[in-house]
Amino acid sequence: MMARLLETKALTIRFGGLAAVNNVDFWVDRGEAVGLIGPNGSGKTTFFNLLTGIYKPTAGEIHYLGENVVGLPAFRIAQKGIARTFQNNRLFLNLSVLDNVLVGMHSQQHSTWFDAIFRRQAVTREFHVGVEKCLGLLGLFSQELANDCYKRAADLPQADRRKVEICRALASDPKLLLLDEPSAGMSPEETDELMKDIRRVRDRMREIGIILIEHDMMVIREVAQRVVVLNYGRKIAEGTFREISTNEEVLEAYLGREEASAAA
Amino acid sequence: MIEPGAIGKGILVLAIEVALYLLLVVFMLANATLSIAAFLLGFIVLGILFTKWKKANQQLTTLFKEMRGLAVAGFVVLLLTLPFAFSKSPYLIHICVMAGLYAILALGLNFQLGSTNVVNFATAASYGIGAYTSALLAVHFHVSFWLGLVISGCVASLFGLILGIPCMKTKDYYLSLVTIAFGLIVYVLLINFSWTGGPNGVPNIPPPSLLGHSFREPIRLLGFVLPGQSNFFYLTVALVAGALLVAHRLHQSRVGLTWNAIREDEIAARCQGIDVTWYKILAFCIDAFFGGVTGTVYAHYIGFISPENFAFIVSVVVVTMVILGGMDNVFGVIIGAVLLTVLPEKFRAFEDFRLLMYGIVVVAMLMFRPQGLFPQKLRAYRISIPR
Repeated sequence: MMARLLETKALTIRFGGLAAVNNVDFWVDRGEAVGLIGPNGSGKTTFFNLLTGIYKPTAGEIHYLGENVVGLPAFRIAQKGIARTFQNNRLFLNLSVLDNVLVGMHSQQHSTWFDAIFRRQAVTREFHVGVEKCLGLLGLFSQELANDCYKRAADLPQADRRKVEICRALASDPKLLLLDEPSAGMSPEETDELMKDIRRVRDRMREIGIILIEHDMMVIREVAQRVVVLNYGRKIAEGTFREISTNEEVLEAYLGREEASAAA
Repeated sequence: MIEPGAIGKGILVLAIEVALYLLLVVFMLANATLSIAAFLLGFIVLGILFTKWKKANQQLTTLFKEMRGLAVAGFVVLLLTLPFAFSKSPYLIHICVMAGLYAILALGLNFQLGSTNVVNFATAASYGIGAYTSALLAVHFHVSFWLGLVISGCVASLFGLILGIPCMKTKDYYLSLVTIAFGLIVYVLLINFSWTGGPNGVPNIPPPSLLGHSFREPIRLLGFVLPGQSNFFYLTVALVAGALLVAHRLHQSRVGLTWNAIREDEIAARCQGIDVTWYKILAFCIDAFFGGVTGTVYAHYIGFISPENFAFIVSVVVVTMVILGGMDNVFGVIIGAVLLTVLPEKFRAFEDFRLLMYGIVVVAMLMFRPQGLFPQKLRAYRISIPR
């Protein structure tokens, strides 16, 4: 049997006495989109930080394509093909849109300082290929962004910044894409647009696995095939959107016990 | 093909350059503090006018862009004639040499401070290590200056690596503290080792020679006699040009882009697969190489070095130059270095307030124009946007 794209076993991290992620078993396959939901502070972003190597787990395993990647530095994990976006949008604000996406291609480019000084042609060729690919990616999301590719990232509105961040993540041809609340702070129209974008990504890269943290249940319903619910760092439910939306424990986690029974 | 009007534009470009050049020469030759101050005021007014008067600014920029080749050629020719203009006053040529040396130091530091936001206060250390390496090699083993130039660059790089590794365990202010400590350690060791000459330093360092011409001899050319300093002037100009080329190429490459990404957001950079540690150490090594080369030229130029030449204050001055000139703008950094070398020399009367001036410059720049006089430009790639 082919190994899962990504699988965690009893993944745990403790900050002092608090188990921010507690014993979580999780998996995602190629071509699958999994929604990760839960109330604020339930450990979703921490879970992402564990997967990308920013935090080191206290216990448990992360298997990526059959290989245990626990303890690898973040840049090695990124090089292996796990790309992410950030909750608060971490673009390189003083660089142009194009440069932001180009940095995303870092692990696919190989020119060194020596090439930079003595072998200009190699560098130019590499940039040429990179720029073309990045413009193609930007154009896929919005032609306007591709035309404005020399704008400073800081001058972009929020919705465009998220697009650029997704482009930056995709530029590395990742096998697994982690999206951390991509619709946060977006208007309903922009959220619609975002869902279209995510679908576009999946049409183009059918093998890519996506894990999506989202508070907007519309987005989860539209995009995710399977949903995992975290609460206080624990996995409390897993299933299709329909299944978890009627799950007692999930409603309780979101609404509290009394309100849940009152609603019922 | 020459377009109609191109000749006129060319003459205009050259005329502007010559006018600025003459102003600069007269400024350098002026001696009375009052006239120097008047000139300086004039330059500042000119600068402000240039930035405020948008239309003239744009027209001039496009003019110089169109005539780029000619403008650069004119600039180089004028620069090379500076020793002729100052042939009667070797001291002015000395100032120019020092400005060039500081420019190389600042270009080196710019990889860290400007590109990567690693605030390194150990420039003086690599500068000193380079100077002592080649000086000791020359005095004890008669190693030639040219070989010493490369060796001391490499030795300084090695020390840059040694400094870089502990620095990677720290961040921000703490990293700066480690570099300050390293600079002090090198300084104290230079004083205390007996084989470095201790506080007395290394005297009698031989000048370089090229094709049998010693660099301490005056240059005789077309009936002109240029003082011995002009040898070093031309050497420094060549080295600055080399350093500029290397710096420009690095900034316009994947390496430069990666450094910028680290400066902007280290965590995001790591998540793009960037080995932050390696790229920071690379910046340390390249900076140290520049420092080592500069130190070599300084040692063989002055002929005598002592630990005092490589004290902490030198590092501070170089940091100030980068902040003034412009973070990650190679031309800006050179201008910053030239300004901060020439101005204190012209205001010798206020020698006691020199440090105060550096302080004021840093505070004023960080408050009113943190990106420096000439901020970094966005990279442009020569590729058309597909529509």
